Amino acid sequence: MTTAPCTDGSAPDLLGTLAADHATGALSTHSGIFYLAAGHVVHVESAHSPDLGDLLTRSGAVAPAGWWEAVQRAGALHRVGRQLVDSGRLSTGALELCHLGALFDAAYFALAHDGTALRFRPGVAHWLGAVRPVPVATVLRESRRRRDLLHRIWPDPAVDTAPLRRAAGADPAELPPRRGRTLALVDGGRTAAQIASALACRTFHTLVELRRLAADGLVTPAPPPPATPVHSVPETDGAAWDEPDTALLRRLLDALEAL
Amino acid sequence: MPGIDESLLEAMRLPGARGALVVDWISGLALGAVGEAPGGDAEATAAETAELARQAMESSTLAPAVDGAGSAGKDRPAEDLILTSADSYHLLRFVVTTFDSTVFLYLWLDRADGNLALARIRLADMADRLVLG
Repeated sequence: MTTAPCTDGSAPDLLGTLAADHATGALSTHSGIFYLAAGHVVHVESAHSPDLGDLLTRSGAVAPAGWWEAVQRAGALHRVGRQLVDSGRLSTGALELCHLGALFDAAYFALAHDGTALRFRPGVAHWLGAVRPVPVATVLRESRRRRDLLHRIWPDPAVDTAPLRRAAGADPAELPPRRGRTLALVDGGRTAAQIASALACRTFHTLVELRRLAADGLVTPAPPPPATPVHSVPETDGAAWDEPDTALLRRLLDALEAL
Repeated sequence: MPGIDESLLEAMRLPGARGALVVDWISGLALGAVGEAPGGDAEATAAETAELARQAMESSTLAPAVDGAGSAGKDRPAEDLILTSADSYHLLRFVVTTFDSTVFLYLWLDRADGNLALARIRLADMADRLVLG
C-alpha cells in the first residue's frame, strides 16, 4: 500500500509501485529523499550532493538574498521554482537545466549507498514545487547507467567516498579545465563530495572526473587514517593497504578493455 | 521565455529537422527529446553524441588561443560541432550557463532539406535564449 508509513523493501521496487499507483509523497532512503507527485519524480535530495540552492547561489547565477526571498515568499505554497522565474531571477530553461542536474545527481546517491526504502510519507510535497517532473523508470534507469559509467571509467568505488591523495608530479594545468579544477582540490583530506561542494559542482560529475584521474594514475584513495592500529590484522593496515588493490584493479581494467 | 521543450520544438521548425535533444555531455543523459533519433534510440544518440562533445571540450589543441579569446578561451574550447554524413547533418551547440552545467543542444537535419548555415545560427541563438530568457 502506498500509505504504509514504514517499509523495508528496496527503494527501486517501492518507487515502481508508487509510480504505478500515481502516488504523491516523500520516500526516504538511507541517503536521500524522493518527492513524488502523481507518480512522477518532482525532486530528489541527498546529503551527498549539493542542492539546487547551493548550485545556483554558489555559482552566482542567483544572489543568495534573491534565493532566500523566493523561498520565504513561495516556500509555503510549494512554488519556489515558479517564483524564481516569475520574479525574473532565472529563465525557465536555466531553472529546468539546473533542477534536472540536481535531481539526477541526488537520485544517484539516494539509490547508490543503500537501496533500502525507509519510509513513505503520503501527501508530502517539496517546497520547490514541480519544475519538470521525470518518470520513475527514467530516474531508475539513469542511476543504473551512471553506476555502469563510473565502473567503465575506473572500477574502484573507494574513489567516491575515501579521502583522496594526489600522485607526485600530477599537474592540474596540463588537464582539461574541469579535470584540472577537480585535481587542484585533491589534498589528501577532502573526499569527492567535499571537492564537489567546494567547486559548486554536481557530485556525480565530480566523481566522473575523479575516476578519470584515478584511471590515469593521478589520484588514489588515501590509506585509512593511522589512528586505529589494529595489530591483529597486520596485512591490512599501514601504507601497504592500497598497493595490492591498485595492482589488481589495473589488471582488471586491462582484462575489461581486452574484451 | 523558453524552457527545454519550447527550445526543442523551435529547433524542430527548422527546414529538414528530424529530431532534437538536450544532452548532458558528462553523464550522457538526454534531458529532453523531440522528434526522431538516428537509429530510433534517443538514449543511445545522447550517450554517443555526449562522448563526441566531451572529446571536443577536453581538447587543448583545438581550443582558441588565449590571446584571441581572453580568459574564456580555456573554459570554452568549442562552441559547436558539425558532423555530416551522406544523408544527414548532425549539429551540437554547447549551452553556456553561469551555474555548473554541461549541456548541449543536438539537432538532426535531413541533408536534402536542411540548411546547415541557417541551422547553426538559429541553434546558437536558441542555446543562448534557453538560459538567458
